[in-house]
Amino acid sequence: MSNTQPAPVASEHVELKARKVSFDWEETPLHWVPGDPFTTHTINVLHLLLPAGERWFVHVYRQALPYITDDRLRADVIGFIGQEAIHSQAHDDVLPHLREQGLDPTPYTAQVDWFFEKLLGDRTLPPGRPRRWWLMERVAMIAAIEHYTAFLGNWVLNADELDRVGADPTMLDLLRWHGAEEVEHRSVAFELFMHLDGGYRRRARTWALAFSALVFLWQRGVRFFMENDPTLLDGKASLGQFVRKGRQGVLPSTPDMLRSIPRYLSRAYHPSQEGDTAQAAAYLASSPGANGGR
Amino acid sequence: MPRFTTVALVAGAALLVRRAVRSRMTTAPLWPMPALDEPVSGYGRGSTVPRKALVTSRGAPADGVVELRLEGRALPAWQPGAHIDLVLPSGLVRQYSLCGDPADPTAYTVATRLIETGQGGRGGSREVHEQLHEGVEIEIRGPRNRFPLVDSPAYVFVAGGIGITPVLPMLRAAEAAGADWRLVYCGRSRATMPYLAEIEALGRPGGRVTVVAEDESGRPDLGFLADVPAWTPVYCCGPDGLMDAVTEAMPEGVAPRMERFSAAATTGGTAFEVELRRSGRTVRVAADQSVLAAVHEEVPGLMYSCRQGFCGTCRQRVLEGEIDHRDELLTDAERDGSMLICVSRCAGKRLVLDL
Repeated sequence: MSNTQPAPVASEHVELKARKVSFDWEETPLHWVPGDPFTTHTINVLHLLLPAGERWFVHVYRQALPYITDDRLRADVIGFIGQEAIHSQAHDDVLPHLREQGLDPTPYTAQVDWFFEKLLGDRTLPPGRPRRWWLMERVAMIAAIEHYTAFLGNWVLNADELDRVGADPTMLDLLRWHGAEEVEHRSVAFELFMHLDGGYRRRARTWALAFSALVFLWQRGVRFFMENDPTLLDGKASLGQFVRKGRQGVLPSTPDMLRSIPRYLSRAYHPSQEGDTAQAAAYLASSPGANGGR
Repeated sequence: MPRFTTVALVAGAALLVRRAVRSRMTTAPLWPMPALDEPVSGYGRGSTVPRKALVTSRGAPADGVVELRLEGRALPAWQPGAHIDLVLPSGLVRQYSLCGDPADPTAYTVATRLIETGQGGRGGSREVHEQLHEGVEIEIRGPRNRFPLVDSPAYVFVAGGIGITPVLPMLRAAEAAGADWRLVYCGRSRATMPYLAEIEALGRPGGRVTVVAEDESGRPDLGFLADVPAWTPVYCCGPDGLMDAVTEAMPEGVAPRMERFSAAATTGGTAFEVELRRSGRTVRVAADQSVLAAVHEEVPGLMYSCRQGFCGTCRQRVLEGEIDHRDELLTDAERDGSMLICVSRCAGKRLVLDL
């Protein structure tokens, strides 16, 4: 424990539990943000990364459980594992729908599968320190990634512009249910990292790794979708489009994203300082998908 | 000017690399990442997507019974004894045994008898009879199998009325496998007993079927069950009275395999023992208690989340014992050696978990 423990906001803690969800994709069009393939596909990259990514979270956290010495944190981590397992399934179930509409994601997802299952999977390491080092490295990476999932979750809960442009309600519900649960459990990954290791150098190093990997995979995913979209003749993706759509409010704004970087790297950072658990809980209570698909 | 040369060289090299990468990526846009040979993502269970089926035909295999053919896309395979949930238009969820052909992946067949509220009906069958016409689309869940047909050279089946539905595919499977089977099929009158003609034709060669219609010959004589060898599985489905009579007629210590679709069947069950092999302890699971609740007292670090059998967090390896799967998640292959301990129970007296 090399640095002081940042203070969590106590009122933001809730008991975590997986919710049963149901999303019917039959009516969802290929471009579910009407007339805006770039925004659609930028958000669609989530369906490419999350099934394998969240399966990997669960896989890593199951290995980290025996090292936890705090009962409340263990309960949180177990709740986190349950929620992430459902998130992974829910996004995975969007992929066959894309395939039916002529946009087969398999060439890309097979690579993401390799990325999480092989590159970031369990390595043949001698037991003891090397194994623990690799586990801690991955626990720290998850904490950094969860900073961004919470950021995106908080963004989508407040992205009223998506409603205004007439985005598909089922897809919005999936994103907001997921976003709300990410906001709800946003402190768990960070607290687990601080509990098991907490080293600032590791936190900064794994943030850089996770951030570069996210940027690399994301831009690649958007380009993959734009190039393979059967309804687009000459689909192109560019950073300029991303900045413009961010300004319009249908994607996270670039300045906001840049501002979130120093926040994670600040020594006083704690995820409970960002986002609003009450707003997340209110959405979860009213989400059609999280309440039996009604 | 050595600095200028360095800058020029680096810039030139960077441009060359950029061009090489660009041209490589135009020919193979997903270069340079390797891919997993057998992709995992995108081929999941579909457990978060409602499965729709269309009623494409409606028949009447007996008085007061409707048979529905439900067509859907890529319906999961099933084994004799399996049932599905129908999510009725009002939101009621009811279980019905599949009685069609397991080899047909395009459609499921279910048959429902109308049970009036005065006779203990809870409204589900009335809705099926009145609202599920041809062209109606409904949500289905499952299939699940809590009444599986074990491999055996001989079987005894006892079915009462609409209880024939899970037994019918079993008869066909037993006949196809060349097993030595017999069936006692009872009902109020021949006109109310579905699939009677097909069953009589199936059993005619060996005289395997005994039809007992109450208005002709009264109650069935189940005395023969006392002489059935203990290794022959006895399957029974029908009204509670019939299932109780079969249980009583069986030799001491031998239990029939039964399927109950009353409200009590989905919650609770019977008490049994769970041995935790690695910790060397045995716990007792009460009839109204889940395995998770019982084991949790012994093994505090146990993982679980939804407690309703859909998230999969509490999955445990089962070393011995017959599992009564009640979850909505696991595939048949996964059910072979593991269970979700938050909802699933034991079909016998004892389970051994790898805990």
